[in-house]
Amino acid sequence: MYQIAIDRSLCSGFGSCAELAPDVFEVDDGGLATVRVGRSDDPAVLEAAAACPMAAIQVIEVEAA
Amino acid sequence: MPRSVLVVGAGLAGARCAETLRAEGFDGELVLVGEEPVPPYERPALSKELLAGTRTPDSLSLRPPGFWAEREITLVLGERVVRLDGAERLAVTDRGLGLQCDAVVLATGAKPRKLPFATPSGVHVLRTLGDALALQAELASARRLAIVGGGFVGAEVASTAHDLGLEVTMLEAGETPFVTVLGADVGALLAERYRRHGVDMRTNALAAAFRADGSGRVCGIELADGSAVWCDVVLVAVGVEPERSLAIATTDAQLAGDAAGGPGHWTSAAADGVAAARRILGLEPLPAQAPFFWSDQFGLRIQLVGDTRPAAAVEIEGHGSEFVARYRAADGQLVAALAANRPREVAALRAELALAA
Repeated sequence: MYQIAIDRSLCSGFGSCAELAPDVFEVDDGGLATVRVGRSDDPAVLEAAAACPMAAIQVIEVEAA
Repeated sequence: MPRSVLVVGAGLAGARCAETLRAEGFDGELVLVGEEPVPPYERPALSKELLAGTRTPDSLSLRPPGFWAEREITLVLGERVVRLDGAERLAVTDRGLGLQCDAVVLATGAKPRKLPFATPSGVHVLRTLGDALALQAELASARRLAIVGGGFVGAEVASTAHDLGLEVTMLEAGETPFVTVLGADVGALLAERYRRHGVDMRTNALAAAFRADGSGRVCGIELADGSAVWCDVVLVAVGVEPERSLAIATTDAQLAGDAAGGPGHWTSAAADGVAAARRILGLEPLPAQAPFFWSDQFGLRIQLVGDTRPAAAVEIEGHGSEFVARYRAADGQLVAALAANRPREVAALRAELALAA
């Protein structure tokens, strides 16, 4: 299970996260990424974090509750 | 694989390199050495929120306190590496500290270009947190700011200073600002926007000399055409050049970020840092992403995807306060796209660009 956080002060609205892991990330009306769910077991979140040009996405592996 | 890595330069490229080394499993000694006395921070905020006083220096940190120590990344701050000895595998700093390592990454960044004439007090550049704090302190009591250079740093500082209530003059050497990066049409739209906000935007304006008052402080700028601009503070923002004095001295190191001579954008510096880390570890490079850049100025958020350099034509849709510009090569292929106050279109433009590539 992964815990996901976005540093919105770093986000600049590139949108690659929402494209790679649409169940987890979306781009809001202001053009910034938000997390739809704070936890996910979808490995696409790792890809999204790696692809973020701002390195604004932190993914921490946690024990499943 | 090396047992120890020294990353020289604690900007974005260096920081991303160090954290990628750890994230990809490097468990040797890892040192990140930086000339500035602070941990890696968001440089883009210097010309905006930091200068405006809406964010503090601490809040600009790229990573939370404890992040580097938790990953056993040793930060050596306030030290400038002045010598690399490949045979001895040794780096020496200006304060005489010796750092041993098997591999070196040079992410030494860039330094602001200077004007080729004498500089009195009150003339600033903006690159480091220290530069920004010095400029901020002077703007607090100044009335008139003159900016030499019509680029992104100049425009962002002009916007911030305008919001702080200063009279702002911008001096652009060319016919239109941003011609080489954004094209004349987009440049004209932006220049028009600055003027409507009350900025005295002068084009074909070549600075020739500073004028100083009796105390040796800047009071004006003389232009090549004989005219003059009066001001209390000056920002010189005429671009940067790669900091490569160490790179010349050694051939046995990886270059990353602005030091490598990239476009100087956030995303390219970050990607470069990651790429250098992956090369050291013998990992495959990540798929290339379109370069991305953004700028906030005079109520406009500009987001640029792709590389405008091969563009032969620009199509603009919209108007001065929100528009999209598509940059096409001579064969019609889309090479870059700019969204101004159209943040929701960036993802679609990026996809359009990927399809065209």
